[in-house]
Formats: sequence, structure tokens, C-alpha cells
Amino acid sequence: MTGLDPSFPVDRAELERILAPFTRVRDGLTVTLQDAAGRRISGSPADAESSSNARLTRDLLVGGSVFGRLVAEGPGVTDRTTAASLDALAVALERLAEAGQRSPAASAAEAATAAPDRRSGIAAELAVGRLHQRSIVSLVAPEVAGYDLASHYEPARELGGDFFELFRMPRRGQPLGMVIADVAGKGIAAALLMAFARPIIHSALNAARGPADALERTNRILVDEVHTALFITALVGRLDPDSGRVRLANAGHEPALLVPGAGGAIDSIEGGGPLLGAFAPLDLTEIDVVLRPGDRLVLYTDGVTDSRSPSGERFGKPRLLETIERARAGSAHDLVAAIRSAETAFRDGAECVDDVTIVAVGRHAV
Amino acid sequence: MAMQTTIERVDAHVPITVMTLTGELDASNYLRVVDDVRPLYEAGVRHLLLDLTDLTFISSSGLVSLYSIEKVMQGQEPPDPEYGWGALHEVGRAVDDGEIQSAVQLCGVQPGVREVIERTGLDRLFRIHPDRATAVAEF
Repeated sequence: MTGLDPSFPVDRAELERILAPFTRVRDGLTVTLQDAAGRRISGSPADAESSSNARLTRDLLVGGSVFGRLVAEGPGVTDRTTAASLDALAVALERLAEAGQRSPAASAAEAATAAPDRRSGIAAELAVGRLHQRSIVSLVAPEVAGYDLASHYEPARELGGDFFELFRMPRRGQPLGMVIADVAGKGIAAALLMAFARPIIHSALNAARGPADALERTNRILVDEVHTALFITALVGRLDPDSGRVRLANAGHEPALLVPGAGGAIDSIEGGGPLLGAFAPLDLTEIDVVLRPGDRLVLYTDGVTDSRSPSGERFGKPRLLETIERARAGSAHDLVAAIRSAETAFRDGAECVDDVTIVAVGRHAV
Repeated sequence: MAMQTTIERVDAHVPITVMTLTGELDASNYLRVVDDVRPLYEAGVRHLLLDLTDLTFISSSGLVSLYSIEKVMQGQEPPDPEYGWGALHEVGRAVDDGEIQSAVQLCGVQPGVREVIERTGLDRLFRIHPDRATAVAEF
């Protein structure tokens, strides 16, 4: 193995690629990596001011012993999304360290077979990380009086990059923040970008004037700071529970579907702009819809519509709309369950090639 | 997933290499397509036409291929599409500013594929022609 720092069990180049997006985070949040002795390996040194900041530390373990430490500092660092992202990063580093430790000890023959596709070897290591990823993505939805919130998330065989989140925003009326997003691409890079982007979108939505502004802010960080050829489609919204008004902004994601409780056609809410991470500015327009009593809003990722049957047919949007149509008398949970079972039945045992994510927000009928 | 690529050379007023993608471009093959383009660039190809007439499906991972192919054809390093986002932004900005003529153009884009390319805004990066004959005449 070349490039292995004897004092730190992760390949240096690999480490720098992984950490690049994390070490220059704006909005006052910094992430640094230390070795077992507390020496800084990567990331900017904390300035004098930051000593009073909130701090979150996560030990990195391989073979039961600590080989390093991740330290995140800054306002909001202790919220659960940041903690989850830090954990995702830590898990990835631990897997890399395990892979790095095993390789020198492996027999020459094993090393020879492992060498041709190192990337897939790492992906195999990260398969264990899927469980962690599931725990990151499937957060418990908040309680919102007068509404049903339901979701389903199934990760693909290989690490994918879907994420979604429903959360109460810390402002007047406690609006409900809604995020659904898909990192294009697969593997460790997609999963890490997901872990990186999720808290940024969350905090941007809290801080911004509205959903479009939140996506513009997120995009600016991605365009300026992140160096990967992957990008993200994202649909975000803010629901005022009292009025039912939802303001949406869409960066290249599948449109939200509005299912009127009073009957009538399912409305695919078109409009938006390019995906995140490629172009700046996005020049997004916001779209306002109103959830009247009995209405449901369905958000999904392309894992639903791209799902393949054993004969190679795609599930597709028409089938999705038919499924919702048949289940429209039910609750938000019923809708999600119906889509989920239709997609699973359609796939008929074929493996999930992409993450499948469905979110439904239903306003109770009066 | 089965996807085939074929490569042909067409001599118009510039030498054009036409790469035909047949089948479905998704997470199972999106990196391989970029691998197919890399040796073309190294062999001196500077005008690449992607004929998508028989491409029946593109997933979001497939978009990464198109984006990365554009980068490879601009001579950007490193060629691994998981890295090097910064270089791509420069391509995007340059296109936005009207500074460069894209080295990669598309033709025969089917409605389902076109919808995905347009929804995600990647149509900004590529000149899209209705068919191969028009593309070759106007490249």
C-alpha cells in the first residue's frame, strides 16, 4: 500500500477527497479530523472566537481502538442532523481504515484480486454502512396537529443518495419544513454528499427567506466548495399548518403531486429550475399551493418511477398516478403504503437499483 | 442493464465522432460510458455527437455520465466522474458566458429522456439537434 500514513490508517489521498467538502463549511460550522494523539490531520484550526462554540466529538475506531477523532464546531452543531452527518462521515472513515488495515496483511493473491477495483472494494466495506445510512435517513417525523405525515425509504443495494426530512421550523407558527432530495450517482461519494448536504439544506431552510432562497444558498455552497462530479435534485417546501399554504421550490427534482380530497385530477406541480451543484445562480421560482382539508401532497424520488420489473419495464409516472388514484380515499399512510406495495409488486423480487423514497403530507378532512 | 455503444467517424466540415447509445443509461452503466469516451479524447477526438435516438431511458445517474463526458471532452482532469466538480463548474460558467462552443452535442433525444435533461437544467450544457443529419450539418 502506498500513501498510507503510518500514524493514520487511512490513505491520505482518499482522506482528502472525502474530507474536502466537510472541512470548509460555511455558516460558522467547521469539521476537523485529529489523529489518536490529538494532532490535527485535516480541517482548519479553530480560531480564538470559536473556543466558546458548541462542539461535537466523535471517536474513530478500528479493531476496537481509537485511531482518530472528528470534531465539529459551530452554532447548531449539536442538532441531530449535524450529529447524524458527522456519524456518517465517521463510519465511512472507519470502513476505509478497516480496508487499509486489512490490505497489507492480506496474502499477495488476495491483494492481487482486490487491486483491480479498489472502488468497489470500498463500496463492499460500506455495505455495512447501509444500516447506518438507513438510520440517518429514516428520522421520526414530527407531530403536526391536523395533519398526517407518512414516509417510506428503501436504500438501494449499493449506497445511494436519497434523503428526506420533515421538521418543525423554529419560527412563528412553527411551519413544517419539507425536504426530499436525490444525489445522482452511487457509492461512497453519493452517500457522503448526501450526509453533507442534508444539514445544509435543513439549516438553509431555517435561515432563508423562503424555499427558493434556501436552495440558492445550498447551491452556492455546493458550487463553491464541493469537488465532485455528482449533483443533487431537491424539492423543498414550507407548510403553514394553520392555513395549509405550502410554498415549494424545486431544483431539478420530480414534481410534487397534489391529491385533492374533494376529488378531481391529481395535480403534478411543475416548475422549478436546474439541479443543485452545477450552475449558479439557479433563478428558482417558488410555487404556492394550498392543502385544503382532505388534500394530500406526495413527494417521491425517481427510485419509484425508475423501478424495473424483471422483464425490464419501468414503473413510470402513469403507473404511480394510477396507484395514487386507487388509494386516494385513504390517509397519507395509506397512500404511501399503496405506492410502496405497488412498486414492490411490480419489481417482483428484482433488486432495488436506486433508493426508493416516498413522503406524503395529508391534511385531515374537517 | 444492457446498453450498447457504437462509435463511428463522420467527416463533415469538422471531423465528428458519433457515439450511439442504445438501451438504458442508469446506475448500472453510467461510469462505463464515460470510460468509453476517455480514449476517444486521448486519441484526438474534439467533436463528439451523442446519438440518443435509441436511448429509451436515462436515470439521474445517467445525467452524471452526460455531465462527465462533457468534462472529459473539455480535457479536464481528473477523468473519474466522482471527482473534479470544480472543473465542471468552470465548463458550466463558460457555457453560460457564451465563451465556448460545447465539444459535445446531442441528437435524437427521445421525449422521456429529454424531459429528464430539461427538468434538471442540463440542456444548458448541450446543443440538442433533432436528428443525426441535422447535427452533422450544423456541428
